[in-house]
Parts: sequence; structure tokens; C-alpha cells
Amino acid sequence: MNRAEFRKRILAANDEEAARLKRRFDESGTLVVDLVSAPGSGKTSLLEHSAARLADHVRVGAIVGDIATELDAERLAAAGMPSYQIVTGGACHLDARLVSEALQHSRFSSLDVLFIENVGNLVCPASYALGEDLKVALLSVAEGDDKPFKYPAIFTKAAATVITKTDLDGHVSFDRARVRNQVMTLNPSAEVFETSVISGQGVEKWCEFLIENLETKRRTLAHA
Amino acid sequence: MHELSIATELHRCCRAEVGEDGSICEVVVAIGDLSGVEPELLRFAWEAVTAGGRDDGATLTIDWCPATQTCPLCAEIREPQPGKWLRLCPTCGMPLALSGGDELDLLRIEYQLQENEVTA
Repeated sequence: MNRAEFRKRILAANDEEAARLKRRFDESGTLVVDLVSAPGSGKTSLLEHSAARLADHVRVGAIVGDIATELDAERLAAAGMPSYQIVTGGACHLDARLVSEALQHSRFSSLDVLFIENVGNLVCPASYALGEDLKVALLSVAEGDDKPFKYPAIFTKAAATVITKTDLDGHVSFDRARVRNQVMTLNPSAEVFETSVISGQGVEKWCEFLIENLETKRRTLAHA
Repeated sequence: MHELSIATELHRCCRAEVGEDGSICEVVVAIGDLSGVEPELLRFAWEAVTAGGRDDGATLTIDWCPATQTCPLCAEIREPQPGKWLRLCPTCGMPLALSGGDELDLLRIEYQLQENEVTA
């Protein structure tokens, strides 16, 4: 019997590809944001409503992952955000290789902010680095206020959690303080935003957060 | 859901390690409770990806790694139950720090090498 012992990440090949992507994004000074949520939490809607606000300041684009259809890329393009659709054909998450291929096929000119809208799923995308600067988790009030503890992997990794669809307040039972408490327990440095694309609440603040992160990244790169 | 992707990648890594003359008998992995991987599903997926090939029947042993919560003041380490995380230290009220539990690592491969036929 032979034995080989080591400590190696099972997803080392993905991590290496993600590191290559990260170097590429750093060279172009692009802030990359991986958006993760359950299906229907409002990832595409938030991007649609961020597009015009962000376009005043920065060049934005999106890579969108879905199991089937190109509906999301069409919606984002209609909102003025250049976008490229990855159809995973059944895969429940994006990996770094899929993002590399999407970048090759997309015709993005140089971008300041690139969104990667992951496949709707709170579990699997947490395991895959995509070369992003930030993972952001979205949670709509209709999903319930217990989700951070139920899906700790993503809420531990997410630099920000966006509570969406706050206009449904009063129609659904949702304790925001409970969600904030759970998020802070898993990741004390995480930011929490509350947004509604219907009323427009919080969208400006969310966009400011992105611009601040872009500026911080550029400053850090300039000093490196 | 992504355990099949992980099992496929794990098998690819192990195959690359043992080479064409090797058959895998056992693989030991470390899985953390914040890794987003469900051990039972990973075992099931491992059986599926190894079935019918030269590694058919290879055992997957999972070393489960819990996350821990530490109080920066009391330095006491608490091992939380999944879903029962504490934000504040019950003794001193300081926010607890969460660490570990993100393991998704290959630790060991036990394998047999096919003996080469000796030609006269």
C-alpha cells in the first residue's frame, strides 16, 4: 500500500484560475463583485436600478449566470449595462473557468466595475472563488429572517449583505434586527444594506458603497 | 448540490497523484462546517464518480472540522452547534470571533500500484 499525504485545497485548480483572474482585474483596476442569493431575491433588479446611477460615475458591466435562458442579460442590456450571459446548462454555480471563458467571449471595453451575477443559489457559489474583490449576499424580506444562520458559508464570506424588497414590509414577517445580528455574528466587518427598487430606498447608498470600494481598490493598487 | 462537482474534482486530483498504475483504496479529506459541503452528499457523489472504474469501491473518509468561536477577552473557545452561533460572549459580553470551518482539503490518499510484469 502506498500513501501520499498533503494538505491541498480540493478546489485548488479553481483557486489558481481565480488568482489569474484576480491579477487580470487588478491590472485593469476593475472592481469585481460576485452577487450571490437565492433565485428571485432581486439580483438582476438591483443591477438594473443601479445601472443608471453608476453610469454617471463609472463604466459598469455584468456577467450573468443562469441554468437556462438569456433573460437576465437582456434585461441588463435594456437597462444600459453591457452584459454577457453564461448558460450553465444545469450547473448550480459559476466557477473561475466559466468566468474566464465569458471574458474571452464578451466584448467589454475596459470596465471600472464588473458584476458577476451568480446562479440563484445560496449554497454552492460560496465554495468557488471567481477572482472577485467582494462577494455580496442578497436576501429579500420574503425569504425570512433566519437565512444567515441557515446558510452560514455565504454570509461568512460576504463583505456585504443586501436586504432587498423592503417595500414588502408589513406584508411579510421579517425582523431586520435579527438578520443584522446573525450577519454580524458570522462576519463582524460585513456591511448591511436595505433596498427596495420599487421605492428606491437604499439604492443610492449601495451604489456609494461600490464607488467607495472601487476608490479604495485603486488607491491600494497605486501604493502597491 | 455542488458535491458532484467537488467529488469529480477530488477524483481528478487523486488520479493525477496516483498515476496510471495506481488504484485508489482510500481518500481522506477535511471538510469544514462553513465550507458549504454536505458530507453525506459528498460520499454519495464520490461513490458515483468512482463507480465502475479502477477506483471502484475506494473509501472516502471525511475529517469533519467545526468552526470555533473565541472571545478576545476571555480567550475561551466555544464550539457552536450549527445554527446556534453566539454573537456575544455570555461571560463578558464581548463580540465573539468566528474562525475555521472553511476546510475543503485533500489530506491523504492510500493507493496500490499495479505490479509491472517482469519480462525475461
